[in-house]
Amino acid sequence: MTNLTFLTNYVDADVTYLINPADYIAVDLTNDYLIWTAGDAVVKDLMTHEPTSGELNAAASLIDAVNPVTVAKCLLMDYSHDVGGSYYTHLVKGMSENKRYVYCFSFDAATATEPQLEAWDTSAHATAVKNVLGLGTALNSFVKGVCTTVTLPGVGWAGASLAGASNVLLLNAGNGAILGGGALYANLKIVIPAAYATPAAETFVLTCRYTYV
Amino acid sequence: MVNLFEIVFDDNSTYSGGTLETTGWKDIPKKKIRSIFYLLPSKDYLCLCNYDKYYHMIEATQDIYGSAAIAVRLEYAYIMGKKNNRVTVYKIDLTNSNILKLDFAEDDEFISRLNNSFWK
Repeated sequence: MTNLTFLTNYVDADVTYLINPADYIAVDLTNDYLIWTAGDAVVKDLMTHEPTSGELNAAASLIDAVNPVTVAKCLLMDYSHDVGGSYYTHLVKGMSENKRYVYCFSFDAATATEPQLEAWDTSAHATAVKNVLGLGTALNSFVKGVCTTVTLPGVGWAGASLAGASNVLLLNAGNGAILGGGALYANLKIVIPAAYATPAAETFVLTCRYTYV
Repeated sequence: MVNLFEIVFDDNSTYSGGTLETTGWKDIPKKKIRSIFYLLPSKDYLCLCNYDKYYHMIEATQDIYGSAAIAVRLEYAYIMGKKNNRVTVYKIDLTNSNILKLDFAEDDEFISRLNNSFWK
């Protein structure tokens, strides 16, 4: 079986996992999670406690009447304090920026097809109709992704809208399967449309689909 | 343990596969395959024979973000046979045991983008 480790860069988003694995934190999928937030004086990099629901709500992104809003920060909530002592949160470096090595998908062996990133309502991977995923119109999804395995995403990258089975992000830039294991990269962002009519705190699921022999 | 597949070669020797997690497909001896008996979730066997080449893969998902994220889930198994530039694909849903039989040209994108090193 080919195993996937998902990691986030918390030091320097110009450095690969291969060159400096210490720049990355492996996400413990049982206890850790990502926080998409505008951030404030409480919800920030290097928190010394797990943020409460009230604190997260107070630091939520606000809908703008005129312009789309890109959620400003992505924090890794690192329950086990893997790095840096007693800190619970680490800012994901380079999220939404013109940076390559932000989210890393490390495979320990070959795959049979090209791994891809998908967005769904729930872990059932059956529907993609929440507000954040475009209410059933995938191109309206707030969740934008770009494969950065081969190249920089570019200044002000738009990215692909992720929702459901048809609007996915190929993680090897369309070059197919991973022949002998290795690391693939993506950058992500959440863009809230201007004057969006339905304020909400919604959850969704990002999943990586891959194959092995 | 019931093996995921049983292979009979042209020389009458056999090879047994492993599990969905450790299938043993990579370790199949380089010999001409006569037939594959593939274990279905229903415990029945699907028999593929008289193809020139065979392919097998498991499709998994790993949730990386979201509430109640499931770490790794095996969603589909694929067993395929290639003959005369056509590929017959059996897509087996591991969550509900449904089986979809598909037919592709060898140069179809789905087939041509497979990791070629795993054809047997």
